[in-house]
Amino acid sequence: MSETALRARGVEKRFGAMRALRGVDLTVERGTIHAVLGPNGAGKTTLLRILAGLSHATAGSVEIDIDGENHEPSKARGAIGYVGHATLIHPELTARENLLFAAKLYRVDDAEARAQQLLEDEALGEVADVRAGSFSRGMSQRLSIARARIHDPILVLLDEPFTGLDRAAASRLAEHLERLRDEGRALVLITHDVEIAARLATTVSLLDRGEISEVVSGSAITVDRLDAGMLGDRPQPGAVA
Amino acid sequence: MSTTLAILWKDLVTEWRSRDRVIAMLLFSLLVVVIFHFALPVGTRSGIQENAAGLLWVAYVFAANIGLNRSFALELENDALSLLALAPGERGWIFLGKALANLILIGLVEAAAGFAFAVAFDIDLLKVALPLAGVVLLGTFGLCCAGTLFSAMSVRTRLREVLLPILLLPALFPVLAGAVAATRDLIVAGEASFEAIQLLLVIDGVYLVVSFLGFEYILDE
Repeated sequence: MSETALRARGVEKRFGAMRALRGVDLTVERGTIHAVLGPNGAGKTTLLRILAGLSHATAGSVEIDIDGENHEPSKARGAIGYVGHATLIHPELTARENLLFAAKLYRVDDAEARAQQLLEDEALGEVADVRAGSFSRGMSQRLSIARARIHDPILVLLDEPFTGLDRAAASRLAEHLERLRDEGRALVLITHDVEIAARLATTVSLLDRGEISEVVSGSAITVDRLDAGMLGDRPQPGAVA
Repeated sequence: MSTTLAILWKDLVTEWRSRDRVIAMLLFSLLVVVIFHFALPVGTRSGIQENAAGLLWVAYVFAANIGLNRSFALELENDALSLLALAPGERGWIFLGKALANLILIGLVEAAAGFAFAVAFDIDLLKVALPLAGVVLLGTFGLCCAGTLFSAMSVRTRLREVLLPILLLPALFPVLAGAVAATRDLIVAGEASFEAIQLLLVIDGVYLVVSFLGFEYILDE
């Protein structure tokens, strides 16, 4: 399957005089995981929030394909699943209530069954009726991922989703993402972790200081290649300019 | 409409479990009543009925400001505000859910504060309880429509606690004009003037439509 789900062209974002993004192009096909890899401050989260429609680009365009028609993100919110840096969950509600609340916002049919399925999927069944405010970072992250999947989105945007997960949870999440990819969904994975990008990504865009410096695809994606790309031509720590 | 009900349910459940907004508003409104009780010269209390409506609405507006400030501030934890911004459909329904939750919570506080006010100033509000509840509902609806919109506008700013009253209070002038006039008529004459009710209905309608439509652009960064 190779059908474009998301196309970004010349995306720029300015915060006052600072240019956070400088003409970013990105094309994400269905059935693929597109990793955006870059160091802290490269503009990864800013880019993802623009792709999700949470922030407006200063220039450029983002189009999301739904059933052959292109929509800007604000008109395609029902097709987007978003796992942000923060969990987007309400601490006073239980895990189940958080999912049911999200299901109501997205008008999900048979919300109870869908919530139960996701709770079990994320190994949260035993704490389904416990308030989310008492969850560990890992449990909160799993609940956040379940919340993002509640409406079965065609485009899933993930901002450092592995942060705070233990080895078992990280492995389970990696399997989930691969399954979503195999089901034909398009995934954008924001990360600064080269090994995760190398393991999961179909395509990797290296983002540096707001610009895509390199795009690596298929068998060319290796840890060494991505490491080299990450270091790029930036000065090494301790180097004399 | 399901979005509105979902937001309403979520806000009420959250408040039931934390109780932080209602308790803060209640304590503040009772303190205002107590301050008025001691601040007014002893000799003026006999003529308090003329001014009671104004004093009562001052207590209501300042207490409501506290609750409205928290209305969207509680969505900042874990960036839950983004969940609302990501929801499909018209964002006006989110506004409506928030405004209705605010109306219920502020209404509860107003009922308690009104009772305390009646006791503190020895005013018989019981005989006009039903029409008074109607007037307070109309006034509070306008307050909540404008307050919910401005609360969302100011929530991402550094000075939101200061910004909200600066934005909100001028917008409340017409609401207060109608609400105070109608409340004073009820306390003094036993019935509210049609002009005051009409003003409240028009302002409520205008604020509802403007806030519903304007909310579409408020949650964007």
